[in-house]
Amino acid sequence: MRANPRFVGGRILRNVGHGIFYRMEVAVPDRVEFVPGQFAMVSGWPGNDPLLPRPLAIFRSGGTRVSGTVEFVYKVVGRGTALLSGLHEGDPLSITLPLGNGFRLDDPDRTWWLAGGGVGFSTVFPAGMALSQGRSDFEMFLGARTREQLPPRDWTPGGNVPGRVHLCTDDGTAGFHGTVGAALRARLEALKPPEAGRLSILACGPREMLREIAETAGSRGVPAQVSLENHMACGFGVCWGCVTEVREGDGTAYRRVCKEGPVFDAREVVW
Amino acid sequence: MVTPDLTARVGSLLLKNPVMSASGTFGYGLEFAPFYDISRLGAVIVKGLSLLPTRGNAPQRIVETPAGMLNAIGLQNIGVERFIGEVAPRLEDAGAVFVANIYGRTEEEYEEVARRLSAVPALAAVELNVSCPNVREGGIAFGSTAKGLYGLTRRVRAATAKPLWVKLSPNVTDIGEMARAAEDSGADAVSLVNTLLGMAVDPRTRRPRLGNVTGGLSGPAIKPVALRMVWEACKAVKIPVIGIGGIRSAEDALEFLLVGAAAVQVGTANFRNPNACIEIVEGIRDFLAREGIRGVKEYRGSFLP
Ligand SMILES: Cc1cc2nc3c(=O)[nH]c(=O)nc-3n(C[C@H](O)[C@H](O)[C@H](O)COP(=O)(O)OP(=O)(O)OC[C@H]3O[C@@H](n4cnc5c(N)ncnc54)[C@H](O)[C@@H]3O)c2cc1C
Ligand SMILES: Cc1cc2nc3c(=O)[nH]c(=O)nc-3n(C[C@H](O)[C@H](O)[C@H](O)COP(=O)(O)O)c2cc1C
Ligand code: FES
Repeated sequence: MRANPRFVGGRILRNVGHGIFYRMEVAVPDRVEFVPGQFAMVSGWPGNDPLLPRPLAIFRSGGTRVSGTVEFVYKVVGRGTALLSGLHEGDPLSITLPLGNGFRLDDPDRTWWLAGGGVGFSTVFPAGMALSQGRSDFEMFLGARTREQLPPRDWTPGGNVPGRVHLCTDDGTAGFHGTVGAALRARLEALKPPEAGRLSILACGPREMLREIAETAGSRGVPAQVSLENHMACGFGVCWGCVTEVREGDGTAYRRVCKEGPVFDAREVVW
Repeated sequence: MVTPDLTARVGSLLLKNPVMSASGTFGYGLEFAPFYDISRLGAVIVKGLSLLPTRGNAPQRIVETPAGMLNAIGLQNIGVERFIGEVAPRLEDAGAVFVANIYGRTEEEYEEVARRLSAVPALAAVELNVSCPNVREGGIAFGSTAKGLYGLTRRVRAATAKPLWVKLSPNVTDIGEMARAAEDSGADAVSLVNTLLGMAVDPRTRRPRLGNVTGGLSGPAIKPVALRMVWEACKAVKIPVIGIGGIRSAEDALEFLLVGAAAVQVGTANFRNPNACIEIVEGIRDFLAREGIRGVKEYRGSFLP
């Protein structure tokens, strides 16, 4: 069922800055089918430095059988993403995709809460788009340090539906004054048990935020799927460099974020 | 133009071509099936195996460095029993030449792993990892003195009828002496280099960047060191030498063949480009054809120092 990964050459169609985020659309040889939460390993620079490709969530894909496009949203944090931000229309990229296990969205009668911290929204928005298409009931919790660092409203699935999107800022310049984790907890505490019983949470963001959400969800018995990040060398399960500690039997074991993840059941993860 | 003969001989094994994947960078090989047919490679060296399942080191396990990377995976693997039960049957179907890479904490463990793998038909040879810098016991302890290496290789030699390759550590003073110790103890080939011991620290948090503090450096950054060591090893022994370290392109591979390597292994390059190994095979063929050279066997060792 899961599509096999492919290694393809792409060409940049668009690579445009929106505030602190870049949105990059790339032409690829054929249409890419992906599950929200899956990712790609991307490199777009010649030479050996930086050596390794960078993991980016697949934000959107399109096209026909014979030609495809794929989009990424990223934030510049270091050399790799800075190099990506300097690329122009027509520049070549090497991409391995789709990779990892995405979110499980196959349970029809649920209410979904999607939480994205920082650039983590790029991983949960595709899930929001899929849920909108399926007419599922969902809400979004989006957090940033300050107002200017929130994702653009017109990228946000359901962004124009009143009450759907809960913005949070650390400095209180927009929406809830505090973290996504705190906003989500407050809203969960106000829910009646039958409503909480239908709820599922999907989250991506800083590890601290995911830990807080895992705790909140766990204490109310709400299932939560979290998308983890780690440094990666290969992205397709052969180097064992990207592991995270998970519960297994009476103890724990290291599992690969790129292969067994990046989406994990929040209860499995050793925070 | 005649098609060059790419076959390469490593002791009793005649390989389709001189390009193999390096252990620990290629999984069990099966993970590459979506990208290309791995039976087109000279050989696939599978992920390091130990007697018991091994948990591996705490994260972080990898750090990127200029033109290279440090890893401290700590040999996380499922252990030889599960490998034989679950993985080996699938290797038989893949049609490639597979080589096991083995590791032990004690001489007895090495011997036991080699003995159990002897009965696996899918394996063409056993590569002894005496050079992993990332595990506290065994490993590098055997690979850092000629005497330790000699003793261990003799024992494993007696435990398996499969061709035995010894993978040497670059973290030694005299690589020629180590290669000779492997040859004298009955190894069929030596492969080198494993990773160079290194470290990285974070000046702000004042902490090591790797969970294991130190790790092994690989990638293009180590190629000149690896090439020099392979050249020295080639001069020191008569058994085949397999060149490893920072190979990313056909030109890189040709440099190792030129100084005398019988074949090469490609590691870190697979991470950036999953097709790296097969592109190198094609690049070597194109180079030999362009230069009017009949084959790999004619070209290798033709260095003019
Ligand atoms: C599955 C997955 C999906 C991702 N999706 C996206 C996405 O859609 N958009 C996006 O902007 N980013 C995403 N990331 C994070 C992105 O991969 C990193 O920001 C990027 O690799 C940094 O590369 P760099 O060369 O710019 O920074 P570097 O110079 O490598 O590092 C800059 C800083 O970021 C830290 N860092 C680097 N990589 C990571 C990482 N993977 N996890 C945590 N910290 C890291 C470094 O320690 C350093 O402090 C994703 C990561 C993963 C694992
Ligand atoms: C992530 C990683 C894991 C490795 N694991 C093993 C291993 O299990 N056994 C082994 O003998 N060498 C192992 N190596 C070493 C490589 O096989 C190779 O000798 C080394 O990386 C140098 O080659 P390269 O520069 O082409 O990567 C590993 C290297 C890397 C990067
Ligand atoms: S990044 Fe290589 S195994 Fe996950």
